[in-house]
Amino acid sequence: MKIAYHAFAIGLLLCFCGTAQSIDLVINLDVSQETVSRNALRSIFSMRMTRWPDGKPIHVFVMGDKTNLHSDFSKQLLGVFPHQLRRAWNRQIYSGMGQAPTKVESEEEMRNQVAKTPGAIGYLSEGNINERIRTISVE
Amino acid sequence: MSVFGPFQSNSSRAICLLALFCLPGKGLLAAELSEFNGVFQIHGFLTQGYVKTTENSFFGESKDGSFDFNEIGINASYRLSPAMMASAQLLSRTAGEMYDGSLDLDFAQFDYAYQLNETSRIGFIIGRSKNPLGLYNDTRDVAATRPGIFMPQAIYWDRVRNMVLSNDGGQIYTEGQFANHFFNLQLFAGKTPIDENVEKSYLDPSLNPKMEQDGVTTGGRLLYEWDGGRIRLALSNASLTLDSQTSLIPPGSIDIDYWVLSAQYNDGPWSLTMEYMEEPIDYRRFGGFMDVADTTVDGYYLQGSYRLQADWEMFARFEESHYDKHDKNGKKSSARIGLPPHTFFSKLWTLGLLWEPTEQLMFRAEFSQVEGTIFLSNLENPLPNIKERDWNLFSLLVSYSF
Repeated sequence: MKIAYHAFAIGLLLCFCGTAQSIDLVINLDVSQETVSRNALRSIFSMRMTRWPDGKPIHVFVMGDKTNLHSDFSKQLLGVFPHQLRRAWNRQIYSGMGQAPTKVESEEEMRNQVAKTPGAIGYLSEGNINERIRTISVE
Repeated sequence: MSVFGPFQSNSSRAICLLALFCLPGKGLLAAELSEFNGVFQIHGFLTQGYVKTTENSFFGESKDGSFDFNEIGINASYRLSPAMMASAQLLSRTAGEMYDGSLDLDFAQFDYAYQLNETSRIGFIIGRSKNPLGLYNDTRDVAATRPGIFMPQAIYWDRVRNMVLSNDGGQIYTEGQFANHFFNLQLFAGKTPIDENVEKSYLDPSLNPKMEQDGVTTGGRLLYEWDGGRIRLALSNASLTLDSQTSLIPPGSIDIDYWVLSAQYNDGPWSLTMEYMEEPIDYRRFGGFMDVADTTVDGYYLQGSYRLQADWEMFARFEESHYDKHDKNGKKSSARIGLPPHTFFSKLWTLGLLWEPTEQLMFRAEFSQVEGTIFLSNLENPLPNIKERDWNLFSLLVSYSF
């Protein structure tokens, strides 16, 4: 009975691991930062923080609101729903206080854009990076 | 060493700011542009609404069903450097008899922000900029950012929208993130565009009032956010004086002080918002005829939203406004001023549904049950027609933004 219970618990855990994918935060190779705080990450992706600590401009890339990757990224790393993030962008865009992030259509495009745009930051599903970009960890 | 020596060596930041004022295109600007190509963006929106009321007129001849509600906007922004951005927006807004759809310059501004450290900055804006008041004023004409088809009228009156919409002048602001706490302070001062809606709301339309602003509108907003916006709190103010001429009574001036307290709680699919407004109005001179109208208007709303799925959201809202905060049912104001009590307050219950099939497209449907008529425009409901006390409001909206 106890074994069955443990098997069920482990099964449940695997289920959750399966639905919530692991995400790598990725940056262009010219960004010198090694880590980024969760609060700075929120400022970056809500388009309020426009430059890296070394002064270089930040260029933000995102996937569409309805993609699983963007939804998981928003909820797991930023702690907000995609529609909340979009409203924050809209509040800035239509009041003249900020600009929108650049949208990409696929992970392949994300990888290429982050690789070739200085100051770029984006995200990929775990294991999808190559040698032209690197990951940055969240403190 | 020249007299400017110490100044130059110790105050490069001040020089940078000076350079910005004195030598546009040189110095700082050139230095930053050399490592940044600039980002140019164009965005816009197209919104069409439909309004049907059982009584009274709101956004057009709504008793017969009105399509006199649309908003078209287009903006361009150019980020010259991480610190500098220029942006402008054109807006055409039709709202029944209140706004005729003529093209307005909504904002046209230049923004400079100096980065103090990784997460805090200080800056200024010059030009025509939107006033930050409450949680929504600066984007109140953009359906994609509104909390419903209409702004909650208890705070964001459409009948006097222009009074607090924007200013021709400047803002200074500072913001910073400290651990889980985010603070933003914006202070503004400038001329406010006054229109007929304002004139005929603060004085009886039969007096043919003409108003001009005395001095400038000053105000600001202090915003606090906790945990990336899980909790948002704000205190906002705008104050102005309107010099008024009428065809009947001696001239005078009206002092208006507009305060808004805002609170929002966001947790996963839930969002709860409360805003409270208080607006003391002081009529001076007018040969003493308007002293009786001195009052403190107040109003509040409570809104709860729930995200059903990624595309669907529903909400319920209750809002209430009073011409005199000490006279909730309008009876004393009615005895003093002479119009029926229900023209001095409003209570609204609204149920709404939102569907966002794509990032650009949204549809809304709402139903409101209304008691009272304080937020109805005198332009849309001219005397001698009597505004009906109890009425219902049904509305639809489609909006595309990019």
